[in-house]
Amino acid sequence: MAYTPQYGPGTSVVAENRRRQMNPNVELDKVRDVTDEDVVLVLGHRAPGSAYPTAHPPLAEQQEPDCPIRKIVEPTDGAKAGDRVRYIQFVDSMYNGPSQPYQRTYAECYRFRGIDPGTLSGRQIVECRERDLESYSKWLIETEMFEPALTSIRGATVHGHSLRLAEDGLMFDMLQRCIIGDEGVVTYVKDQIGEPLDRAVAVGKPLDDAWVKAHSTIFHSLVGLAYRDDVEYIEYIQRIHSLRTKYGFMPVEE
Amino acid sequence: MTEAVVDYPQCRITPLRMLKPDSAEALLNEVVKIPGIRRMMINGPNLPRTVPYGPARGKPNPNSNRKVIMVGGSEFELRVQVGTMIFEVLDDSVTEKIRALCDRFFTKFPYQLQTGKKYMRTQPTVADYAKYGPDVDPNLIGLMDPRNKEGPVIIQGR
Repeated sequence: MAYTPQYGPGTSVVAENRRRQMNPNVELDKVRDVTDEDVVLVLGHRAPGSAYPTAHPPLAEQQEPDCPIRKIVEPTDGAKAGDRVRYIQFVDSMYNGPSQPYQRTYAECYRFRGIDPGTLSGRQIVECRERDLESYSKWLIETEMFEPALTSIRGATVHGHSLRLAEDGLMFDMLQRCIIGDEGVVTYVKDQIGEPLDRAVAVGKPLDDAWVKAHSTIFHSLVGLAYRDDVEYIEYIQRIHSLRTKYGFMPVEE
Repeated sequence: MTEAVVDYPQCRITPLRMLKPDSAEALLNEVVKIPGIRRMMINGPNLPRTVPYGPARGKPNPNSNRKVIMVGGSEFELRVQVGTMIFEVLDDSVTEKIRALCDRFFTKFPYQLQTGKKYMRTQPTVADYAKYGPDVDPNLIGLMDPRNKEGPVIIQGR
């Protein structure tokens, strides 16, 4: 019988959202439009319209060793062209942010090729070849894995994911990379490391409370769904905990 | 010898959302009209003048939340996004007046008012002693961050 991945346990809406994000066969809703130039501006790695700087000559122009793995694995577009490795880093608020670091890493590993994600408690970074990064970033910003007020693109100085939201609903950002205008549209006025942009990049209006709760992948007993309310999830985590504890005593199977 | 310190009651306002400078100014201007507040402190995450980490380290950090506000006739620049406000008051009746004010003020989102005695320090720590010496003004204990080079703002009140 062919193996069908389950992606994760749980019967709650949070568990279902986690599975939706991870499953590459599920096409996530596109919530907003950003242009390629917008993405390049926010990333801040190169000037819009400039050529991609390279780390090595294109693969077609260089002699590759005779390697069976290289014959099996098709290189990504960025690897073929010899692009530099660059990054994007996301911070998601614990107040019903649409994703969270582990979730982002799982989802990206299932959906993208040629990436090197880094998962931390309050931020998640993904590194890959520059032109691959731009297409992945565009997808991550346009789909339901991004929420203008509760998700933020921050290369450095990321503090804010666990803090109370500000009065206008934005997650705290020491560098105030994005602001909310009079019409309620969130615009990035600085790139991800905090340098002012030549022009502001709009990423749309924050979504309403009902949408945010329906698309959350974070358990939160105060503003969303409590972890302990998802019995199946608790059962799963207790099983893992029990097994790894027993393994610590080197049990011998009889 | 350490002199006996009178423990005045303290209270702490924690709104559900962190306040913008305009709201904080409006609230504080109402609070300073209440007689019987000895000391007051604003807490929250830091808003640095320059970018503290990363490739842009040392570059200016324009931030509309780091704004000059006027409270009780004194002008000062907010260095933090206002998260909590701590007050040391003469007696519990003052706390109740602050509570009544907050009930009127916070209409868009809730707040929490906690009462106790240890939200700000009343006795010098070793770090205070090392930095300010044995004759530090007891009114300033707990208001100053010994690591910070900028001193506290003194609002004379009325």
